[in-house]
Amino acid sequence: MSAEMAAATSDHVPRTDKLGNENYVRIIDVRKEFDGFVAVDSVNLSIRKGEIFALLGGSGCGKSTLLRCLAGFEKPTSGKIELDGQIINDLQPYDRPINMMFQSYALFPHMTVEQNIAFGLKQDGMAKDAIARRVEEMLGIVQMNKFAKRKPHQLSGGQQQRVALARSLAKSPKLLLLDEPMGALDKKLRSQMQLELVNIIERLGVTCVMVTHDQEEAMNMAHRIALMDAGHIRQVGTPDEIYEQPTSRFAAEFVGSLNVIEGKVEEDEADFVTIRSDALPDSVYIGHGISGFEGQQVAFAVRPEKVTISKDEPVQKHNKAQGIVEDIAYFGSHSVYHVRLPSGFKIMAHFANRKRWASENFTWNDQVWVSWGDDAGVVLTT
Amino acid sequence: MNLPRFLTRKVLPHPRWGVISIPYFWMLLFFAIPFLIVMKISFSSQAIAIPPYTPVLEYVDEGLMLKLNLGNYIELFTNSQYVEAYLSSLKIAAISTLLCLLIGYPMAYTIARMSPSMRNICLMLVVLPSWISFLIRIYAWIGILQTNGVLNKMLLAIGIIDSPLQIMNTPVAAYIGIVYAYLPFMILPLYTNLVKFDMRLLEAAYDLGAKPWKAFLTITLPMSKSGIIAGCMLVMIPAVGEFVIPELLGGPGTLMIGRQLWSEFFSAGNWPMASAVAIIMLVSLLIPIIIFHKFQQKELEGRIV
Repeated sequence: MSAEMAAATSDHVPRTDKLGNENYVRIIDVRKEFDGFVAVDSVNLSIRKGEIFALLGGSGCGKSTLLRCLAGFEKPTSGKIELDGQIINDLQPYDRPINMMFQSYALFPHMTVEQNIAFGLKQDGMAKDAIARRVEEMLGIVQMNKFAKRKPHQLSGGQQQRVALARSLAKSPKLLLLDEPMGALDKKLRSQMQLELVNIIERLGVTCVMVTHDQEEAMNMAHRIALMDAGHIRQVGTPDEIYEQPTSRFAAEFVGSLNVIEGKVEEDEADFVTIRSDALPDSVYIGHGISGFEGQQVAFAVRPEKVTISKDEPVQKHNKAQGIVEDIAYFGSHSVYHVRLPSGFKIMAHFANRKRWASENFTWNDQVWVSWGDDAGVVLTT
Repeated sequence: MNLPRFLTRKVLPHPRWGVISIPYFWMLLFFAIPFLIVMKISFSSQAIAIPPYTPVLEYVDEGLMLKLNLGNYIELFTNSQYVEAYLSSLKIAAISTLLCLLIGYPMAYTIARMSPSMRNICLMLVVLPSWISFLIRIYAWIGILQTNGVLNKMLLAIGIIDSPLQIMNTPVAAYIGIVYAYLPFMILPLYTNLVKFDMRLLEAAYDLGAKPWKAFLTITLPMSKSGIIAGCMLVMIPAVGEFVIPELLGGPGTLMIGRQLWSEFFSAGNWPMASAVAIIMLVSLLIPIIIFHKFQQKELEGRIV
């Protein structure tokens, strides 16, 4: 019976993906409970070799617990975690070929940079000169050779992160875990380090799972993202799939800003759909079919940057409405106009500030038109 | 109404000096002056007078005479009785400190890892005995350790021993007493240090392949060094000069400088000799205190993040 069950559970997460790539890490039906609270619930994931994979979600969504299960600090209540064909559930953290870069780096304060990086190598009983060579190499990769003799508290946040990265990569782990890698850095340094981190990880070809609550960070760094909510995986996909083709309202709203128009399916044909909403004067026209039925309650979601704002009435037949500019949020590179429609519904539209005095184009209380294309938005049924 | 500016700024001290000077004033009144008085007495000789020693500074024949008697100090370093008492004190204090560390570290470690509410209860239990008079607690140990005491009766009843153990009035009893009395002074600084310990550092060590015992030796132990040193100082320094415990529990065989000092002072009435004993004891303890202070300074400079 148990063999049958094992075979059945393995089916959730195939050993290879659609393109025939081997799934290096397989998380199969993993569930983690703390005193009756379910932190991670029936999670199935597969991660390819050399991939940077992000677990994205708000606080308490279970992403950190899942990461700690991978590191071995938590044991799944049920389910299996497989790395490179080996089930690692029962391996202690110190026996796993997995290293982690901790959120606040957890550098050993009483050791120098060198000693920190050498710590893991020493545990393997590596020869002294081999350790010295490897430490030197790692310092070179993160460009910290000059700081080898410093103590962690004598380093800036960005430098500490480089040391933490070098320490977690020194043992050439099969899997690298990053826990909120940019959490302790300021915004400017963050975008710079994101690129650098990705460069180093890709250069070394190490498989990497990262946890973050920052959607920008996940999109910048990861090849694929798993969106988590309340212990469940909501959607797995590349950054643009998650952004442009959200499969649920949660996914659409979590990543980026969004206009959500509630309505009912009016016409559902093979090549188009129209949605009737009280918010808009006319029906929304979508240039592709959906697997729905007439009268179904749906939400039409369109991103503000796909909504055009103009003084004159657009020539297109559908998907336009007249309104009044109620709020303007200036972001430098672009402005977000909040346009109030006659129904009282407010729609957001981006306007790129290409000219320096572009903000003179529209101002508060201006009568404007908002419009979007036939394929600008998605219909969300859940 | 207002005082001229130059007067308030240059002549009258700033009000903050009023606050800052309190500890200095305290040190002067209760440490420096008594110390100098004891030091003065140590350079005089015994006399039948009130107070029972000769003056060091005297006005004789229109001249101010300073007479420093070094005899007490010479006696201290040449009379093997004193030298032995010093060495024995240091040995007893050092072994007691080590025992306190071996017992106190696991206790402090365990308490620091408990839930905050349990921690407070356990810390309370550590401190609670000191609510009872020190003397009474040491007397209680007599009741436990003596030949027909609680411990012997219990061991006889269980059948582990056939005849009562002679613990009372041996150095073993003195060790038990000192370790018992000073254990909280070891646990508290260790606890303060260990409770601040960032558990993620241990996780990082495990993650990098260190087994729990190795992680303890390479991460936890070195990082609690300042707590260990503080605890050892707090136990060692008073233990060297301990008088009550060796007197009540240790019996005549337990030679300690505190008892030597007592007998010089109260039995022999030799105040100058007793003062010299006290001065040398203080000086010998100053060395470890200075080392400790230096270490703490380094620690503070190195650790502030």
